[in-house]
Formats: sequence, structure tokens, C-alpha cells
Amino acid sequence: MKAALEALESGALDEIAGIDDLKILEESRVKYLGRNGQVTGILRGLATVSAEERPAMGQAANRVKQAIADALDAKKDTLEAAAFEKQTTAEAVDLSLPGRRPRPGHAHLIPQVADEIVDIFRELGFQVATGPDIETEYYNFDALNTPADHPARDSHDTFFVKPGVVLRTHTSPVQMRVMEKVQPPVAVVVPGRVYRVDYDASHSPMFYQFEGLLVDEGVSFADLKGTLMHFLERYFGPGHKVRFRPHFFPFTEPSAEVDISCTMCKGAGCRVCKHSGWLEVLGCGMVHPEVFKHANYDYEKYSGFAFGMGVDRLAMLRHAISSIGHLYENDLRFLEQF
Amino acid sequence: MRVSLNWLKEYVNLDGISVEDLAHRMTMLGLEIEAIEEPGAEIQQVYVGEILSIEPHPDADKIVVCKTNTGGPEALQICCGAKNMKVGDKVPTAIVGATLPGGFAIGRRKMRGIESEGMMCSGKELGLGDDHAGLLILPPDFPVGADAKPLLGLDDVIFEIEVTPNRGDWASMIGVARELAAYYNRPLSIPATPLNESAEAITGLTSVCIENPELCGRYLGRVMKNVQVGPSPQWLQSRLQAAGQRPINNVVDITNFVLLETGHPLHGFDYDLLAEHRIVVRAAKAGEKITTLDGQERPLATDMLVIADGAKTQCVAGIMGGSHSEVSENTTTVFLESAWFNPASVRKTSRALQLISESSQRFQRGADPEMAVYALERAAALMQEICGATVARGAIDQHPLPLPRKQVTLRHARCNALLGTPIDAEEQKDVLVRLGFSILVEDAASCTFHVPPRRHDVSMETDLIEEIARFHGYDRMDVSLPAVRPSAHVFAPQYQPERALRHFLIAQGLTEVFHWTFCNAQDAEKAGLAPALRDMVALENPLSEKQGTMRSSLLPGLLNHAAYNLNRGAASLAVFEVGPVYAPVWKNDLPTQELHLGMLLHGPSNGTHWSGAAKSYDFYDLKGLLEATLSHLGVDATFEPSTAGTFQPGQNASIVVGKQIVGTFGKVHLAVAKAFDIDPNLYLLELALDSLLSQAKPHGQFSAIPTFPPSKRDMAVVVDEAVPAGALAVAARAAGGSLLKSVELFDIYRSEGLGAGKKSVALNLSFQADDKTLTDNDTQKQWDKILKKLQTDYQATLR
Ligand SMILES: [Zn+2]
Repeated sequence: MKAALEALESGALDEIAGIDDLKILEESRVKYLGRNGQVTGILRGLATVSAEERPAMGQAANRVKQAIADALDAKKDTLEAAAFEKQTTAEAVDLSLPGRRPRPGHAHLIPQVADEIVDIFRELGFQVATGPDIETEYYNFDALNTPADHPARDSHDTFFVKPGVVLRTHTSPVQMRVMEKVQPPVAVVVPGRVYRVDYDASHSPMFYQFEGLLVDEGVSFADLKGTLMHFLERYFGPGHKVRFRPHFFPFTEPSAEVDISCTMCKGAGCRVCKHSGWLEVLGCGMVHPEVFKHANYDYEKYSGFAFGMGVDRLAMLRHAISSIGHLYENDLRFLEQF
Repeated sequence: MRVSLNWLKEYVNLDGISVEDLAHRMTMLGLEIEAIEEPGAEIQQVYVGEILSIEPHPDADKIVVCKTNTGGPEALQICCGAKNMKVGDKVPTAIVGATLPGGFAIGRRKMRGIESEGMMCSGKELGLGDDHAGLLILPPDFPVGADAKPLLGLDDVIFEIEVTPNRGDWASMIGVARELAAYYNRPLSIPATPLNESAEAITGLTSVCIENPELCGRYLGRVMKNVQVGPSPQWLQSRLQAAGQRPINNVVDITNFVLLETGHPLHGFDYDLLAEHRIVVRAAKAGEKITTLDGQERPLATDMLVIADGAKTQCVAGIMGGSHSEVSENTTTVFLESAWFNPASVRKTSRALQLISESSQRFQRGADPEMAVYALERAAALMQEICGATVARGAIDQHPLPLPRKQVTLRHARCNALLGTPIDAEEQKDVLVRLGFSILVEDAASCTFHVPPRRHDVSMETDLIEEIARFHGYDRMDVSLPAVRPSAHVFAPQYQPERALRHFLIAQGLTEVFHWTFCNAQDAEKAGLAPALRDMVALENPLSEKQGTMRSSLLPGLLNHAAYNLNRGAASLAVFEVGPVYAPVWKNDLPTQELHLGMLLHGPSNGTHWSGAAKSYDFYDLKGLLEATLSHLGVDATFEPSTAGTFQPGQNASIVVGKQIVGTFGKVHLAVAKAFDIDPNLYLLELALDSLLSQAKPHGQFSAIPTFPPSKRDMAVVVDEAVPAGALAVAARAAGGSLLKSVELFDIYRSEGLGAGKKSVALNLSFQADDKTLTDNDTQKQWDKILKKLQTDYQATLR
């Protein structure tokens, strides 16, 4: 039996050494170590061996089993490594070939910028309000202290649907619609389409405005300055100078226009800023008492500020867009840049 | 408005203030500066020269050779092409080394063989007007050899100022000077108006009758005889040129000058051409017409105020004179008008006649009835000085309706509260006093002021606070962040869901487009819109026919978008638009506005890649996006065949939610594709969003993750071609009981073996129980029920 074990061992080891295929190696494992394998057979035969010889023979048989198992494992490792080597060569990619890109969608720049501005003001506690594009003259003008014979109504830039009904020329009518609904505190921002009869490189008959209104007890011009300076720093980034200068709007007083140092020349003077170093970015002011009167707000108790800006202009300035036309042509070569 | 610095300095001392500081201050006071011009900045070494001799050029007919004394040791020899000068004339002369506007340098050169040592200049060459006909002949009293630049007013700085509509009182040299004088606390000097009136009293020469005092609150006039019409002196011409105006004759120039100086419009009539030599201020009569100074005949309406003589209308009050009584070279006696007209009336008439003038712009902003007096005296004094006029004794001053003097009270604490910046009560009062407001009563807390009549913009406390803010300086105002108390009311409940929807669609690979909301009848028809949608909200004054209406649908815009981009080489289109559409269905005085979603797909869906062929978008790509969108919105919809004209029959569906059709989608109709000149393999969708976004989506509720494995079984059945495959899935779901968790339609198969008009539909059925692992028997029972249902309802046979 000892001789048989030795023959089995050397035969098996020789055979395993010669195998170069994982499948055959597995067959070989079954042949020797499987349930009906040769080593298993010998181990089963131990039952017939005498009691004195059994421990020694058992030990010998187990040693042979272990030697064959080790040889099989070692061979498996070798063959697997070789197979993987072959696979890596076969599957090597050409890194220079382009990947399969998903085609991302793009937000149009105007709503994209409007969303961003909404977010800045929402952080400060404002919420969004909206109103209709087609408005009555009352909300668009009269309620905003701009009666029919007011000089500010002279400009022939209003689209009319019929007498008394216009395409809103600004988002300000929403101020009155909001104030009619609730008493202060009111803190709203209003993104929306507005319309004026004007069309050239810097004017579009439809454009996009952003309005803000805060009314509460004790709201001051200093609050207006602080709010808009915070906004401009968030939108344009730090390092821009901001200038408030007096202006006139019928529905605010005191009123201001706000400039930032030119985004192109950093204030040195260039064509974009007409060599002034400043770019006008928004209009604002303290809500006019006449507007409060229309809203049935107590002017002695409450004060407020309002502001309005062109989202188109803010987008054009920050992204160096030369003509407002790009924003509304919807050329995909433009849209896909943002 | 062009404001000349040299001119401004006649009224206020601006010594020690640089141009830069002055520009900054004007800006910070609200005088918006659009541009700063220095017309003579480039002019160097141009002197007053005297022509000593003029000789013909030996070799050129059109050139003469002059000797000109520019104050140097020797006269210069200068060749010149002009003809208008004579020996002894003084002309601006650029010597060798001089520069002219545009950086033009003067060198020594030869003209047809003759040396030329400089250039004698025309007005245009110096940037003075357009006169290029000949040399600019200077007044004889200009000293030879003097620098011509200051003498010609070319050392000036021009501020181009935008005056806001509330500040009519700023629209003049004195108006701007008054503001600066107040700010810098320096005196304002108004030129004196010395008159040597003749013995003849004006009352014997003319009379004024105001029939409509509510439209003409004040009317003043003077009569000037022996007026010698001719060119204005150089100083007057320079002033007008600096303001951007062309000199005409001394009488006209003086009224224009006084308008620029005082902001008050005047009108001069030829006295001899006024019937009965008298003035009637009245409303126009029905059917009356006037030929205005611009040569146009204009019909007048009875609500328009006119200035008439004893017979007929001579002038549209405050807007433009008539050509009949215009001052001409033959005029010898002038009736000069200075009046105050109702701003609203002037605006209305100016609008109705579509006639805007310097005069109408000033009256409609509100003129100053006090300034009317000064302007008349100033013009009379200048005519006396410049035109040699004899001024008749006295002036007419009809003042039937003096403007009430306004009183406004300022509370110092209110000012500080509104500005959020403490400004001393003394500073507050000081600002207003400097601006011409006078104190009526005051105590520690408040102060009541008289408002100067020129300040039409001031009628309440806030107006005073604004003045204080301007003078204190917006840049010196405090800065704070308000403690915002948000309102509990939700004003735009749809804003957030709309935004989430847009971002969902972008995440699906669609690009957002944002169109003008205009449309036109032709595009609506080309797009095959239903007749109801072709009835759109129309604009009375559209930019053009193409933008004549407000869109009723997003589809025409998307079709134009496709045409625009395909024409520019776009290979594929995958875009959406979320935006309003409008309908002439009126509610609360306004047409209806709804929010719609549009989608457009065309061309390869995955772009081109070296690894394989591109797949083109088709109907099911669009339907899949729609299903995903509806699922995002939490909406259950069904789809029904539609006959909408935009789409190809058979690939044309309605989107139904509840019983309501909320949208349509499909493949574009060949006729529509042809009308827009685009490839017909294009898929379009439009969905009304308002009702879908406003259905508040319930908060998602957790359902337990199954503990027991699902049992998946396939079922392939053969049915008639006419049976919609989707109906089988719906029926299976209905018959499958609570154990059936999902039905997936995974294959459609047709073959000769199945027979013509037949198809096989394969469903994958997934069964699962919450409390146990299903046995084959459990599953089979449900499977049999489903098959039976399909057999009964759709004559399906198991394949
Ligand atoms: Zn710049």
C-alpha cells in the first residue's frame, strides 16, 4: 500500500506539472481528490489495514493528499495568472479614442441666472411672487404713481392690447398685486417677462426682469443699500465697487440707480462702459407714499424698498455676451455654451 | 443736454474743482453724465492770423498763395484752396507743428512746387459746425498771434447730461449752475438785464387776451422795434455751437440762447404780420389748420391751445410757431412771448400732433412761471444789445392763474428713519435752504418750508427727504442688512414645481429654449393649429406683422426653432420650453394666460460615436420622455388617438388626465414640415401644465421592502393586429390580483407562422407576496386567471 501511495503521488505530481489548461486541471483535481478520486479511494481502503499500521498509513495517505492538493493549487494560480495576462493584452483599450458621452441638457441662460438670483434673495428671506404678462394700465402705471399725464408715461414704448390693457413694461405691477393680498411684512422677488417697443443690439421687445419688494416697520435706505450690495457681491463675485446715485422713478423716492465697476476693464474705462468705468445694473428706491396709498398701507407705520433689474443685462455683463439677440435666437451653438 | 463748462462758469464760480470731481459730483447729485467731451482737446498751436497778401499760384488755378501774420518774426507763406477771404481778414492759422481734431498734424509741405508753412482753417476743421465752404473769418478785434483756442471757446469741456423727467428745472445752464452753487455753497450770478425802454408804451401797441386760463396760467410779452436781423456775434454762436445748435440769425439765436440759459422757451412773432397786432390765447377752432415752422400743415383739434392774432391761429401754444408770422430777414418789429402753459395740455397736444420740440419738452415737464419773467427781460436786453432793437416801454404780464405756493413739512426723525442714517437737523435744513426752500415755521422736531415755484417735483415730505439724501451723498449713507420677516402667504405656489420640472427635463438631456412670446396668424396656420388657437390676443402696435399676436401655443415657436437650427447645421434637436401661452378669453379685464410645456426631438438621439451607428429619435423616445415627465409630476395619464393638425395621422396622440385633454404629441405632419421647410422626422409635444403643477403631490409614503423573493413568469399571447398591445398589459394587471406586482411588455413578434393580421405580445409578470415565498401553484393560479381574461376580452391564444 505504501508503494501504491508513492506511485500515485509521483504520477499525480508529474501529471499536474504537465497541465496547461484550467479545465483539465479541474478534471485532474476530481480524478485525485474528488469523491470517487484515487486518493479518496486509498483513504477509504484504510479501513482494511491492521490497527497497528493504520496510523502510519493514514499519516502517509494524508501527506500525499496534501501534496497533490498543494500542487493543484499552485498550478491553478500559475495558470490563472497566465490567463489574466492574456486577457489584459486582448482587452487593452486605445486611450486616445473618445468616450461615449451622455448628452447633457442645458438650462437657458435667462432662467438659469434668474434661478440663481432667486436663490440669493431666498437666503435673505424673500419669496417668489409672479403676475400676468398682459396687464391693465392700472397695475402697470396708475397704481405705481404714474398717472396718464405723467412725464414717465410719455415714452412710446408700451405695447397695447387694447385701451387699458398692455404688455407689462416692467415687473413692478406685481408689487401692487402682492400688496393688495396681504398687509406687511412683505418680502417678495418677482422674476418675469416684460415688453417694450424697442429692438436693437441692446434692446429686445421682450426681455426678462427681476423685481424685489420689502415692506415692514422700519425698513430704511440703508437696508436697501445693504441688501443690494450683498446681492451684487454674490452675483458678480467679490472685488467689484458698487455705486448708488440719485435717479428718478415715479414709484420710489428717494430713488437710485446702481452701478458696478466695469466687469470688462475693472473701472479703467472701455467701450462697454462708455469710458466711464461704471456699468449701470439696477434701479431701486424707497417705496413712494402714493404707492402705499393705492395699496392701503399705512405710510406712517410702514416703509419699504423696491428694486428692479434686467436679468438679460446681468447675464450679458457676467458672461461677456455682446448682443441681447443671442439670448432670444436660441441658436443651439449658443445655448450649449451654458 | 449738452452743458458747456465755460458757459456754466458764467453763473457759478467753479475754481478749484477739477473736471473729474465736478463730473463725479454732478453724477452723485442725480445729473447723470452720459459722456464728457473736450472738443478742442487735440487742437494745439492754432493762432489768430491776419492775411497780409493774396497772390495767385503760378501753376494751379484753384490755389492761392497768402502771406499771413501770426505774430511771429516773419509772416508765413501759406497755400490755400479757399475763396472767401480777403486781405486784412483774420483767420485761425495752424502753424508748422500744430495739431487739429482727429490728431491731424500740420507739417511744412509743397503745394504744386510752392512751399506752404501751415494751414488756415475752416470752422469744420476746428470741430466748429459743418461749414466747410471757406475759412472761418474771425472778428476783427481778435488780437493777431493770440491762441485761437480759448477765443473760439475750444478750450471747453462739454458734459452730456441726461435730465430725469421730474427735474425740468435742471434742463438749462442756470438750472445746473443753481444746483452746483447750492452744493458748493457758492453764489449764483444771474446776468443783469439793463433796458433802455422807449417812450412808446406797449399798451398802445398790442394787447393779450387769455380765453383759457386753466391752460395758460401766465402770459408775458414785449414789443421790440427797429430790429436788425443779421448774423449773431461770435460769442453767441460759440455758445449755441457748444450746446449742439446751429446759429441762424440773431433774433432766433437769442431766443434759443435764452431757452438754453434759463430753460424757459420763448417765441418771437413778426409783429407786423399779426392781424390787429394783438394776441389771443384760446382753444383751436373746429377744422382749423396751421402750417408750422417745419413747413407741415397740421389739422388742429378743439382741445389744443393755440396763440392766435386778431384773425387766425399763429402758433401751437408751447410747441411750435406757425410759418406765417415767423421772424424773417424782413422783420423789423418783434413781439416776444414768454408764457406758462399747462404741462398736461402741452403733452397731449404734442402727442396728438406727433410734434416734439425743445419747447414742448420743457413745457410738458413744467416750466417755472417766475423764470418766464426773467427770460423775457433777458431776451429783450440781448435784442437791444445785439439787434439794435428799441424796446417799447413796459411788458404785458397776464397772470390769471398763479400756481399755489406749496408748503411742506419735514420731520427730522422721519428723515433719519427713512434713510437709516443719522443726519443732523441743521444739515437737513441747510440743504433745503441752499436749494431755495424758505423756512416758514420750525421747532425742534420739524420744519415747514415754502417750495420754490420751479420745483414741480416737490409736494410732500418724502420729496424733501430725497433732497437731503442727494446732498448728503448716497455714498455716505449707512449700510445695513434688514431682518426680513417672511410673509406667511405663498404668492407663487407653482414656482418651485415649475423649476423642478425644468431641471428634471434638463437632467433627461433636453436643452431649454426661451422664445419671445409673440406669434402671428401665418405661423399658427402653418403649424396646423386648431381654429380656436388661431384666434390669438392681438397687439395694437406690434413691432412688425411677424410679432403681431401673443402666442396661443408653443408649437409654432418650436417649429421655427427647428428650422433656424437645422439651417445652421444642427444634426439633432432635443429641446423643451416651459412658458406662457395666451388666449383671448377675458377674465378680470385680462386675457387668459397658461403655462405650457413644449418638447421637440429630431435626429440622432445618442450622437455619433466610432463604436457604432447612431439611433434616431422616434415616437417612443418622445412618449418615454412624456411618461417620465408625467411620473415626475405624479400624474396618471392615458393616451388616445388624436386628429390634431400638427401631427401625422397614426402618430398623433392626445394626453388625457381625468377626462381632460391636457396635451398632444406625435410626429410632425408632412404638410407642416414642408411649410416650415424642415425634415419631417421630427417629434413634437405640447402639454398644459397649470392643472398638473397645482395638484399638490402628496408626500411619498414608505412601503416595506419585500422580504420574500418575487416569482417571474412570462406569457406570450397571439392577438389580432388591431388589439393595442398596451391594452393587454392593462387587462393583465386588472386580472392579476394583489400578488401581481408588475407587468412589463417586453416583446412584439410577427411572423408568417402566426398568420397575417396577427401579432404575438409577450408580457413579463412578476408575482410576490408580503408574507411568504410563493409556490408554483400560487403563481400558476394567478397566471391562469390572467390568460383567461386575455382570452375572453381579446380572443388571445397562448403562443
Ligand atoms: Zn469698462
